Amino acid sequence: MHEQRDFDRFLHAVDVDGAIAETSHQRQLVLSRRGLLAGALAGPGALLLGGSEARAASGLSANDVGILNYALVLEYLQASFYTEAERSGALSGKTAQAAQVVGATERAHVKAFQKLLGAKAVKRPLFDFQGVTEAQQAFLKTAVAFEDLAVAAYKGQAPKLQSNAVLAAAVGIHSVEARHAAWVRELFGVTPAVNAFDKPATKQSINHIVASTHFIVAHPKMKARSRPQYTG
Amino acid sequence: MAPSAAETRTTDARSRLQLIVAGGVGLTAASPILRALLGTGAADAASKSEDLRILQLVLLLEYTQVALYERALNEASLTGELRDFAQIALGHERQHLAAVKQALGSKAGPKPRFEFGLKTKSADAFRETAIKLEDIAVAGYNGQATNLTKPTLAVAAEIVSVEARHAAWVRAIADEVAAPDPVDKPMTASEVAAGLREIGLRTS
Repeated sequence: MHEQRDFDRFLHAVDVDGAIAETSHQRQLVLSRRGLLAGALAGPGALLLGGSEARAASGLSANDVGILNYALVLEYLQASFYTEAERSGALSGKTAQAAQVVGATERAHVKAFQKLLGAKAVKRPLFDFQGVTEAQQAFLKTAVAFEDLAVAAYKGQAPKLQSNAVLAAAVGIHSVEARHAAWVRELFGVTPAVNAFDKPATKQSINHIVASTHFIVAHPKMKARSRPQYTG
Repeated sequence: MAPSAAETRTTDARSRLQLIVAGGVGLTAASPILRALLGTGAADAASKSEDLRILQLVLLLEYTQVALYERALNEASLTGELRDFAQIALGHERQHLAAVKQALGSKAGPKPRFEFGLKTKSADAFRETAIKLEDIAVAGYNGQATNLTKPTLAVAAEIVSVEARHAAWVRAIADEVAAPDPVDKPMTASEVAAGLREIGLRTS
């Protein structure tokens, strides 16, 4: 099946230490078309972005707006993934608890970036997770891939940020994504911290990997809207 | 474990480490990372000296982590996943320490002493101390992000996420929420120093 091959390629691409491949044949992924996630849940309370929030997009360079929108798409992807997994009812025990905490955090990241970017925030794409939110093992495997990917993505962009306020917020999110990665790895039964040095990934390679999943089914063009959208 | 992928990663990390290590003995290598860590690059004088000052703090942090894990593995009768964690984390911290030490070269401060008291004597005490120390490491690196030159920041970013993974892992072992906050709060250099002292670092 086409989607199965694409998804396997995606897992292979992000499986830097072979941890996912190790267990990949233990369970078949449940692949099924399902309805798209519409809207999003309200995120938890205020973010810890402090003074940077007040800047909105007005004080940001085009370079930083581009990086923040790229981060926002990755956060949309993660937030929608966890929200859909929670709603599917397929998760139980510690995995369900982790999904709830991590999902709330990713939704909070989405809200923070939307607030920071204001009218320049890219719209939420439409997602089709192709069944990986409907079975616990498939969910965990994908979560490991997403979180490791997010860590590498933030790491690749952090040194390129021009605003110190944005950089301070971004590094605080980067390390949280690493905590998530270790947490879901532990739940999936693979080593949470494999190497002494975590490698960055370029925007190009991240985009390529994300595109290969076909999880994003429609991606509105980035353009200014008349007013900021605060729905998480 | 797929050996090919794992081996590739290990080799990559090792060669990179050697690159950093080589810098400490005064190579004229072209790596921007090296130049930044050595303070011999194009960055302005203030940034270079600031990087070196921050690396001295990082040195103390990594010394403390290595010492805690070494002693706990010897003294705390660790078993199961907690022992696996301590062994793997120790391996990482030793690599971080070696990289920072060699990057500082002759400017590296002396190896400090430690008084961990009961913190390395039991599995429970060690686990709670490891959570505190890894959180300090994450907050310490994050707190310096805006003070570092960009090439040094890039290296620090490769280390801080590993510390964050350790923090989450040991929390998961303790059955705690592994990532309690949406954004990690930074610590200042003096907060980090005070935190390390509370854990057992003695510099005089």
